Amino acid sequence: MAAEKNYYTIDPEGKLTCLKCGVPLVKGKAKFMYLDNGFPVELPVCPVCGFVYVPEELALGKVASVERALEDK
Amino acid sequence: MSQIQERGSTHVYKVNKISREEMESMVARCVYEQPPFCSAACPLKLDVRAMLKAAADGNFKKALQLYEKIAPFPLILSQGCEAPCEGKCRLNEVGDGLAIREIERAVARYGEQFRLGSVFRTSKRHKTAVFGSGLFALLLAGELEKKAYPVTVFCEEADPEAYLRKAAPFLDESAFALELRRLKGKEIRFVCGCRLNAAFYEQQKPAFDVLCASDEVRARLFPDSVPVPELMICEAERLVSGPTEGVLGAAFGAKKAALTVDRLAQKLDPRNTRGQEGATDSALYTDLSEAKVLCRVAVPAGGYTKEQAIEEAGRCIQCHCEECLKSCAYLKHYKKHPGLLAREIYNNTQIIMGDHQLNKPMNACSLCGQCTVVCPNGFDMARVCHLARQNMVSTDKMPLAPHEFALLDMLFSNGDAFLARPQPGFASCRYVFFPGCQAAAIAPETVRAAYEDLCARLPGGVALMLGCCGAIADWAGRMEMAQQAHEFLDRELARLGDPIVIAGCPSCAKELREHGVKELRGIWDVLEEIGLPEGVHKLERPMALHDSCGARGDAATQASIRRLAASLGVRLTDTPYSGDRSPCCGYGGLAAYANPEVAGEMTEQCLERSDAPYISYCMACRDRFARKGRESKHILELCYGTDAGAPPDISEKRRNRLQLKRSLLQELWLEEPMERKLPYTLNWTDEAREMMDRRMILTEDVIAVLNGFRETGEAILEGESGLLVARRRLGNATFWIKFSREGENIYTVHRAWSHRMNVVKREG
Repeated sequence: MAAEKNYYTIDPEGKLTCLKCGVPLVKGKAKFMYLDNGFPVELPVCPVCGFVYVPEELALGKVASVERALEDK
Repeated sequence: MSQIQERGSTHVYKVNKISREEMESMVARCVYEQPPFCSAACPLKLDVRAMLKAAADGNFKKALQLYEKIAPFPLILSQGCEAPCEGKCRLNEVGDGLAIREIERAVARYGEQFRLGSVFRTSKRHKTAVFGSGLFALLLAGELEKKAYPVTVFCEEADPEAYLRKAAPFLDESAFALELRRLKGKEIRFVCGCRLNAAFYEQQKPAFDVLCASDEVRARLFPDSVPVPELMICEAERLVSGPTEGVLGAAFGAKKAALTVDRLAQKLDPRNTRGQEGATDSALYTDLSEAKVLCRVAVPAGGYTKEQAIEEAGRCIQCHCEECLKSCAYLKHYKKHPGLLAREIYNNTQIIMGDHQLNKPMNACSLCGQCTVVCPNGFDMARVCHLARQNMVSTDKMPLAPHEFALLDMLFSNGDAFLARPQPGFASCRYVFFPGCQAAAIAPETVRAAYEDLCARLPGGVALMLGCCGAIADWAGRMEMAQQAHEFLDRELARLGDPIVIAGCPSCAKELREHGVKELRGIWDVLEEIGLPEGVHKLERPMALHDSCGARGDAATQASIRRLAASLGVRLTDTPYSGDRSPCCGYGGLAAYANPEVAGEMTEQCLERSDAPYISYCMACRDRFARKGRESKHILELCYGTDAGAPPDISEKRRNRLQLKRSLLQELWLEEPMERKLPYTLNWTDEAREMMDRRMILTEDVIAVLNGFRETGEAILEGESGLLVARRRLGNATFWIKFSREGENIYTVHRAWSHRMNVVKREG
């Protein structure tokens, strides 16, 4: 079966830790949802509690531009 | 916190059409695309303006190219044309009209040397024939050759030279020589020395698809034929011909005839899709103050020299209407005349699937109405944009993002920060002071001083109402929300006994009046009537008055403000675009929220008008000018000797409103307001403060994230910096903060950001 397409991938490379669970974040499956549209991505995720981290650069860059594109649909 | 429902999906396939007739009637008011008067008067539709521009630039090659578009034989036309364009030249109203025909002659002469020989062209397959001679026949042959029809001319003359001589006997020798060369260079086949009788005609006829004739030959061949002058055809005989008069008449006749040939070649009715033909009127507006040189360059016997032609063409003021573009930063930004922009915005509302690319321009207009005043025809861009916004909202296609911050601010003004109380000691009041949300946000001390003054000096009691008039929702095109705000204010006013509203802001005054508040006065009117408060400082200094767009069309308010300023000792320096012509500071229509870049240009344009400090009577104007570094005062600051100081950031604007409400409740109404104290210490880096203001993230948002963190303990530890990152979904956005922690109760925020997309973990 073909691998599911991911629009964006960030590997935390062991630099981020979940404060609550005390474990390093790993590259995990996540999904952005906006105005009834979904985008599968791979982001730093806590393997225990599932906290998904959206770094500032991603939020203000790619995420913001996709938001704007969808808002004008 | 208050919340506004985000639209559910991008997959909405309905449109609520604005009537095309309504939009067309609005668009038609823009005269930008109207032809200049000279071109309108020319039945051949010469682009006189462009030709004169090229000639004025000394570019005779380009000028001739433009002229040749309508004249296959430029010297013939320029020497013989009756030049109706000259009579319509607007310069006639202030001096000498332009010598257009003389310039055309010069263009035809001096452009000739640059003319390219005929290049290879693919001919059309329909063969055409022109029987007979004369000017109409010659020009028709020229027009058909230009359209790439193979043309054969059958004439009685001995050769093309004699043919040309008969057609244009008025040409001087040098012009004749040039036109003969031009004629010989054209792909026109001459069959000379023919006897043009019926037998000859019938003999030739089968070899051609379309047949044309001079009027003389037509009358000889078919004495009973009846040409239709507007089509230049005898329909029964299918012969393209007809009478013409004069040189221009022949040229126009040839143009109409050539179009008829097109239609016949396409096997269409010659009446089919001809468009508008011949001279027309123009509704173009021309600013004649641009006319600098009023006297015509005298024409020497042999016609203009090159230099003289350049000089005379340079007198052309290039008639065009850009009155709105001169004054409106919004239209300047998009570099479009409003007729075009309005049409595009209209089309934007009609898109069922796909990108609404005009959302940004539609939401960037300040709805200030300046264009309607400066436009000679009263074009109303504000109405176009406001209607379009309402339309997009009603079809659920309007993005919430551009306006959400402002709309939440309105809900805050009419929620947590709202206050309505009668004056202490009064059960009901004759008046209620409504300073407006921005006054309370930007200059709370001034609001307080004004209120205390009104209470002290107006008989019958003055209630206070701190809130938003509803203009925010109105500007956003969210009419249901606006109506809810109006109904809320109506109820609160009724609770106060429907007192006379004293508005502190012209935009509130306008909004409230338009929505049914019957008795309303501006605080400026009241102060004029009761006089300035005691101890007011006279200023004796020059200042530039910026009229509020909310007071457009309100001469009484504008005059009242001027008298008030004069009594304060302010020497007002006059600026162009004041009074009704005043531009918006960039706050109006929520431009500052939806498009900060365009709004910034609006503010800069306001400030370009004078170097003096600015005085305004709308707090939003005061704030935006101060943000650009200009000394800027609201007239109430001058009246009450208060100083609102440096412009507050977005969080301070909220805090100011809350603190004003709390301090008034405590001190005037002796009520103990609920005050929420944070159980921890919150600090900010300067960078975080600046970032939050730019990214429209409120202190309240950050506190909510931090409170969430304190409850759940959910955060990320960044290994390299040692900083923590927490997030919380608030309404339609997720807010993130990066912070440090000292012990359990001291936090310092380093960064903050947000996104509207929701992010969730995906299984699998």
